[in-house]
Amino acid sequence: MRRLIHFVREAVANIRLNRTTTIIAVATTAFTLACFGVFLLLYLNLRAVATSLQGDFKVVVYVKDGLPPSGVSELQGLLKADPGVQALVYVSKEQALADFRAQFPDESHLLQGLGENPLPASFIVTLAPSHRSPDSVRRAAERFKSEPGADQVQYSRDWIDNLATVVGYLELAAVGIGTVLSAASVTIIASTIRLTLYARRDEIEIMRLIGATGGFIKIPYLIEGTMLGAMGSAVSLVMLKGGFELFSARLGMPGRFLGIDSGVHFFSGQVAVLIMGAGLLLGFIGSAVSVLDLGRAKP
Amino acid sequence: MIQIFHVTKHYDRRPALTDINLQIEKGEFVLLMGPSGAGKTTLLKLLYCATSLDEGQILIQGRNVARLKSSDVPYLRRTMGVVFQDFKLLSKKSVYENVALPLLVQGLPTFETRRKVMEALKAVGVEHRKESRPTMLSAGEQQRVCIARSIVNSPIILLADEPTGNMDASLAREIVDLFKTINARGTTVLVATHNRQVIEQVGRRVITLDQGKVVSDEGRGL
Repeated sequence: MRRLIHFVREAVANIRLNRTTTIIAVATTAFTLACFGVFLLLYLNLRAVATSLQGDFKVVVYVKDGLPPSGVSELQGLLKADPGVQALVYVSKEQALADFRAQFPDESHLLQGLGENPLPASFIVTLAPSHRSPDSVRRAAERFKSEPGADQVQYSRDWIDNLATVVGYLELAAVGIGTVLSAASVTIIASTIRLTLYARRDEIEIMRLIGATGGFIKIPYLIEGTMLGAMGSAVSLVMLKGGFELFSARLGMPGRFLGIDSGVHFFSGQVAVLIMGAGLLLGFIGSAVSVLDLGRAKP
Repeated sequence: MIQIFHVTKHYDRRPALTDINLQIEKGEFVLLMGPSGAGKTTLLKLLYCATSLDEGQILIQGRNVARLKSSDVPYLRRTMGVVFQDFKLLSKKSVYENVALPLLVQGLPTFETRRKVMEALKAVGVEHRKESRPTMLSAGEQQRVCIARSIVNSPIILLADEPTGNMDASLAREIVDLFKTINARGTTVLVATHNRQVIEQVGRRVITLDQGKVVSDEGRGL
């Protein structure tokens, strides 16, 4: 316990001793982590949107006009039996008209001149998650279309797939940028620790001569690097939260993102803890790189 | 206690020590004499593993220093006290903290550390300066603090490199008296000096080095 107190006290003393370099290291680490955080925020929100859209994805199977109720039942049975179908909702011609009027009250006069209800009955099919890939959707649509009683099949999968592709690219970019920025943070923290080591080289020498082991000498510097990483990640989270609030307020879109009700969200507590953990780890690695040779007692 | 066999050491091909052979028994008080550049400091450095030897063997309490693993060196150093000419005190720590360092390194409990540090400070007569920073002390006081640090963990060997180097005669006499007291408690003491007054005051074994060689070894067994 006494040793632990000594290690922490030494680490804090080092931070105080090199105040300027500490501030630079914390600020640079905070900025690099914040850059990565912006990407992560964008990625996580777009992924949430893509997942939400994929979950809502529907295929509409229009029923041939004039099909008798027995034909509708038969078609319903065939669709239900399809392995790609998770759920099925029948929308009658009357229901379709009522829905149209409810959704477009100003345009309802368009249908008045036509006399008979021109809207077809349809089945709204929700596909099973395992059948939502572009190829599966295309094959299912072809199957549905070939069923007796089915007329047209409609789905608009393309832009959802495009969004998923963008999210995929963003994921790759996040990994690439994250790696580069992590390396930058490690280098900055390693340089800061090296400056501390240089400033305290006489002390380190004295500690060696009185019988301190490599571990005893290294631990305060490892703690210092870890503390710098933690401070950097904490500052980056504060910066990101501030920027996020400003962004949300400016765009005035709380609760909605790209027209989707899932809304824009800041990092969950779990992700914030992970970012803090990443900062700690980067700090630890940075200091570990610097103190690698420090413990050598023999010349 | 200390056995030195055919030890040779070079610095950039220039010989610092050549074929040194010595035996120092437990409880001896040995003075290492010689002019500047004679090899006194190098010999002490070899004993506390601050430099490596090129040839020969050094045994300390039967342990071969040349074959010692890097990770074992700190444990050998903990059995020794070293008094440096430039004191090597940590300027940002108090006198108490400086003297407590060797015990902290060994993980001694607080109460025991306090007792031993106060004993050591009392033995060298600077207990009243325990809260001061080394920079606020005179050279003599700093040397006493350095000695207190070197004896606080009750070492079996005490090495001192020019401990009276920058001191006037009366202060040097006090420091030598301290070493004699420490030696009287059973610690083997090896002091490197070129101060004749110290030799006369101690009146014990004197090994003289010149140009890296032992030129005389007088008063063995005294």
